Amino acid sequence: MAKTMTLRICHLYPDLMDTYGDKGNIITIQKRCQWRGINVNLANITVGQSLSASEFDLYFFGGGQDKTQIIVGKDILKKAQTIKKAIDGGTALLSICGGYQLLQKYFKTKTGETIKGIGLFDAYTLGSNDRMIQNLLIEMNSELEQDITNNYPTTDDRLPTTNLIGFENHSGKTYLGKNLKPLGKVIKGSGNNGEDKTEGAVYKNAFGCYLHGSLLPKNPHFADYLIAKSLERRYGKIKLKPLDDEIEWQTHKQATQRTRSTS
Amino acid sequence: MFLAILAGKTLAFVIRLFGGGATAAPGLFALKIDPNLVRKLNRKIKLGSVIISGTNGKTTTARLTYDTLFTKYKVIHNRQGSNLLRGIASTLISNSSIFGKIRFDLAIWEVDEATLPEAIKNVYPQTIVLLNLFRDQLDRYGEIDSTRTKWQKALRTLPKSTILILNSDDPGISILEKSFAGKIVFFGVSDNKVRLPAVATVADVKHCLFCGAGLVFDAQLSAHLGHYRCSKCNFKRPTPDISAANLMFKSDFSTSISLGLDSQTSTISYSLPGLYNVYNVLAASTTALNYGIDLATVIEKIKKFSTAFGRFQKTEIKGRQLITFLIKNPAGANEVLRTISNQSRVNLLLILNDKIADGRDVSWIWDTDWEILRDKTDNVFISGIRRFDMALRLKYAGFKLSNNSIYKEVNYSILIALQKMSTKDTLIVLPTYTALLDVQKTLNRTGEKVSKWQKQ
Repeated sequence: MAKTMTLRICHLYPDLMDTYGDKGNIITIQKRCQWRGINVNLANITVGQSLSASEFDLYFFGGGQDKTQIIVGKDILKKAQTIKKAIDGGTALLSICGGYQLLQKYFKTKTGETIKGIGLFDAYTLGSNDRMIQNLLIEMNSELEQDITNNYPTTDDRLPTTNLIGFENHSGKTYLGKNLKPLGKVIKGSGNNGEDKTEGAVYKNAFGCYLHGSLLPKNPHFADYLIAKSLERRYGKIKLKPLDDEIEWQTHKQATQRTRSTS
Repeated sequence: MFLAILAGKTLAFVIRLFGGGATAAPGLFALKIDPNLVRKLNRKIKLGSVIISGTNGKTTTARLTYDTLFTKYKVIHNRQGSNLLRGIASTLISNSSIFGKIRFDLAIWEVDEATLPEAIKNVYPQTIVLLNLFRDQLDRYGEIDSTRTKWQKALRTLPKSTILILNSDDPGISILEKSFAGKIVFFGVSDNKVRLPAVATVADVKHCLFCGAGLVFDAQLSAHLGHYRCSKCNFKRPTPDISAANLMFKSDFSTSISLGLDSQTSTISYSLPGLYNVYNVLAASTTALNYGIDLATVIEKIKKFSTAFGRFQKTEIKGRQLITFLIKNPAGANEVLRTISNQSRVNLLLILNDKIADGRDVSWIWDTDWEILRDKTDNVFISGIRRFDMALRLKYAGFKLSNNSIYKEVNYSILIALQKMSTKDTLIVLPTYTALLDVQKTLNRTGEKVSKWQKQ
């Protein structure tokens, strides 16, 4: 019998960056591991706490209000080296909205103030007066699409879709550097900036996006992909056990239909 | 103004003729003709007006306040729902002659939190009651910090003669004291523990709004409501002028509290559930006492109060009892779930919609602690536009779901749920706002078996 695997999650600033049901993403990783007999250790790391003391397989960084984002922005600079080193070593990361922004080079607010980010993603965000608030449906970038399709365990060899569905709520517009790949292409919604049809960013196993809703529960293929990527570094290529994802896909489908039918 | 009122009245008449509620459209139309209509009419109100705002509890508090003030004053209230400026205009129009002569001397305005600054400009409030600020429909309101900033700006424009009635237990509300120079009355809960199961909740204020240092909670009662102090500066919970202690939550969803006022205490029992209603009762009592209503009358009115539309509403169909609790945001929903979890066993019907009035974004259900009900639930049924999101949330909360617990039609889901339950069971219905309207339709349709479904 194979050794029991353990996935070690670090939830960054869960007390401060938890605005849009971010907890749902953590619960999803926990449950989908638990259902497969994979252990999960969850560490909550916040302002003033050291990150380098322990090692993690997956970082999660959610969204927050402007004021807390400033507090967190100062603290994360102290953790920048640890996070960057981990990502370069293959650790997985999912960041959403405010978290995604703080991992970029900088955020320039509407009033001209600049909040420095850690520069994990070669990207920057500019505050705007546009409210980008709606359901967001994206098509996965083609490289990831293949990877995700190969990874998702199905019994009938068919993944219903590699699209991601969620809800976006931001006014900052994100622009990606030349060599940074977006997570995907916008089908419906605004995405990074409402202009170039890109949404999110991918650097190694680190992902940033504006999709909450919560994201992972109704995108089980992406949840499983993150689980596999998180474990791969220490356990090699993983073949995950298939789960009964009927409700997950029903939810994905219903949210997608809702998105396509509303203007 | 004459033209605006006439137009509004005519439109209201036509809408009612076709069975509508005429709660917003006449006001909206009249405001198009005369944008200053609300201002002009409010200026004529002898005793001015009371504004009630906050994320949760506005409707119940406004109705309770109305019931108490009604004993002494000729008072009107935008009871018919719309809490935007157009709703205020509609209420004014229907209570004025076409020449703008008003037939009342005090007005109670329930005001949407985003509309508060605009309302302050238009209604000349004599009293403003602010209940709480929680994350709510972030797709509509944006974050609560920016709502509060707008409130602070508006409060600074008020004359000193205005009275502010504030919740001392919400640090995001008590801080407003600093934006206002006049008289302030605080209400709050003095118990440092709530005798209800603990709920995993999300706090929206964790840092001092002055200096940014962490807040210390000596008692955390609900979300970020409690007894707090700043770890660095001297910001702390003000001592309430009117307080509630010895909170007792009964299994029949009634409550008793000791109301404390100037070192006197009186025990009140009333038929509203949960901690959140204690705050509503406190806010309404504080307002009533401030308007010179005597304590005995206040207590009597609270005792007799039957709830507002869909907020804890008991109905009976074919011998089975239904209790409806409106849910709309994590803070409110968590308090409702916590109150329900006081029961030994429950049957649930959850109805999740994502229309504009519900909030398009359903991610808040992941900030809500459904887990607390998992081991108490005998049957669970799910309906609404986003029923699968709801089902998925419950799946990840560890509920056992079968495919035949999810129904597209709200009406059908209610009937099926009742059919599957035994006669002695109670069905707890938890709809979002627009789903509540569907629930009401079904309950009305079931005819004579419905006991006293209150008109909106």
